[in-house]
Amino acid sequence: MAEIRPDEVSAILRKQLAGFENETDIYEVGTVLQVGDGIARVYGLSKVMASELVEFPNNVTGMVLNLDEDSVGCVLFGESSLIKEGDTVKRTSRVASFPVGEKLLGRVVNPLGEPVDGKGTVQFDKYMPIERKALGVIQRQPVKEPLQTGITAIDAMIPIGRGQRELIIGDRQTGKTAVAIDAIINQKYTHTEEAKKYGVNPVYCVYVAIGQKNSTIAQVVAKLEEAGAMEYTTVVAAPASTPAPLQYIAPYSGSTLGEFFRDNGKHALVIYDDLSKQAVAYRELSLLLRRPPGREAYPGDVFYLHSRLLERASKLSDELGGGSLTALPIIETQQGDVSAYIPTNVISITDGQIYLEPNLFNSGVRPAINVGISVSRVGGNAQIKAMKKVAGSLKLDLAQYRELEAFAKFGSDLDKATLSTLAKGARLVELLKQGQYAPSPVENQVLSVFIGTNNYFESIEVKDVKRFEKEFLEYVDLKYPQILENIKVSKTLEDDTVQMIKKAVDEFIGKFKKS
Amino acid sequence: MSVFRVSYRYANSLIQLADDKKIVKKISDDAELIYNTLSSSKELRAVLKSPVVKLGEKKNVMEKIFAKKISPESLSFINFVIEKNREDILFEIFKEFLALVDKKNNVIRTKVISAVDFNDKLKQKLIADLEKKTKKTIIADYSINANLIGGFIVRLEDTVYDASVKNQLRLLRKKFSEEINISKN
Repeated sequence: MAEIRPDEVSAILRKQLAGFENETDIYEVGTVLQVGDGIARVYGLSKVMASELVEFPNNVTGMVLNLDEDSVGCVLFGESSLIKEGDTVKRTSRVASFPVGEKLLGRVVNPLGEPVDGKGTVQFDKYMPIERKALGVIQRQPVKEPLQTGITAIDAMIPIGRGQRELIIGDRQTGKTAVAIDAIINQKYTHTEEAKKYGVNPVYCVYVAIGQKNSTIAQVVAKLEEAGAMEYTTVVAAPASTPAPLQYIAPYSGSTLGEFFRDNGKHALVIYDDLSKQAVAYRELSLLLRRPPGREAYPGDVFYLHSRLLERASKLSDELGGGSLTALPIIETQQGDVSAYIPTNVISITDGQIYLEPNLFNSGVRPAINVGISVSRVGGNAQIKAMKKVAGSLKLDLAQYRELEAFAKFGSDLDKATLSTLAKGARLVELLKQGQYAPSPVENQVLSVFIGTNNYFESIEVKDVKRFEKEFLEYVDLKYPQILENIKVSKTLEDDTVQMIKKAVDEFIGKFKKS
Repeated sequence: MSVFRVSYRYANSLIQLADDKKIVKKISDDAELIYNTLSSSKELRAVLKSPVVKLGEKKNVMEKIFAKKISPESLSFINFVIEKNREDILFEIFKEFLALVDKKNNVIRTKVISAVDFNDKLKQKLIADLEKKTKKTIIADYSINANLIGGFIVRLEDTVYDASVKNQLRLLRKKFSEEINISKN
């Protein structure tokens, strides 16, 4: 152990004391009139601002939400049992804010920026208010770069661009979080030297967990760490055990961190998992603050709650550095009811939705994306040209397949054209199945979709499709690395590349061992 | 309507009336007496708040207590409030009234808490300083709290001027713990 010399200690103490000035401390105070259910009504604090942080005794902080004529309504971020009537409340003169900086990457923090991962104090550059106004029209530009999720079905048919807001919606246990986690893991590639060479900018990720079980959050963090994804990810955790006000501000905190990267010309991906629980937390504290309830007992401004959050996702203009903030909100539906209040709100705010279905999930189609009703309203512009070219007919083929699917049980009674549509559709569905935590790079996706849509699977059994795809990709990587290189460099599918792919598939089909 | 708004309305009309009749001083003395009586007697407040006690009886009680001690204007105001069924907030009305009188007279009431008793010279200096700062008349209420160790605390409305040794120590502790946390990393 290193030795500590007493004179060193006293030198440090003297240095610290030197900076300490014996001045009168001036602060503003109020008195607690009433406390309970996580809400305190405070008398005094006459100059306090809306959404300012205030200090209660016993290290409890609170946030001012209601400014009334004769009192101030605060929500408590701690135990309300620690506070009693008559306690003194102090102003901090600081609106609720979140520490931002690159040092937050790899950390798990609560919505106030305090660490919860036991790795010591969080280092940060500055505090930024959690409620920031979304950018206007002038500061933005259209979404034009792809954000690869690594999930073939999404990247091919429901593409997401950097700066987009794409909703992930579905019942419980349909793999919503899995899609989001895969998207985070897939950003690992963007941080490599190789990506830099091909002009792909790194994407920093923020995962906001709202109202989830602590065990689930621990699981996600462990998975991200295992995949080496925590290096560029911050987890903002507001588990189910935290008071409702903290769950309510968590997405804004995450968004603030994302905006820090965006404003510095970088790219950020923020996942809000999930906003239905945030709406429930907000409903709780609104009702406690005696704001009038509306539909499903949500307060009147629950639409604004989500719209002001999601409007902060943006792609900055080149003059402002061209950074972006992509938002992937998650909404959990009850029994597939998308016409409930919160789902319809968020669907209308976002630029598209990825719809996950329990039926598909249970029949083994994973990720359980219903491509028929999932859409992306802006991402198409952001797809790389090669993908756009091959994926064009994919959605159509699958739509035809679904239409005829009901007839599939008639088997041989069908005409030849119908049979071939059904066969192709079944193989495409099989092709789009993908394991969890196994994101696939875009050039591989292009190849897979190419062989799928060009009907090279005709002679392959459905159960062999995945194996064929895997072995073919390995074969190309070994024998024709030029194909992958071409796609990566030019991002398009030129005729000579197409010829090369065709040659490679024809060769490979001859070598493929059917099971 | 909130208690605050209602009591403000009544208090405001009372002060305007007093102003018109030029008897603000007299009424405010009465108000102080009534306020002090009400704040010291829990029973009286309970009687006023109780919906069981009839209005006439409430009037009788108030008259018997205050008739000989306050001006007829104040008494008729109390009767008026009782008639309007607002006797439950009589206490708040007089509290608000006294605040309005203070505001009118440019007076601020402060609380001064010190570790040891101030001598008169110090008190005068403190009040002079505060009056210079606020440009208002200061009426101070002194109290002693040995927990402060040394120094004093002045509370001017919502603002606290804390020059106590206890607070200095608290700040010092906070500063040290912050710096140590940073140097740990």
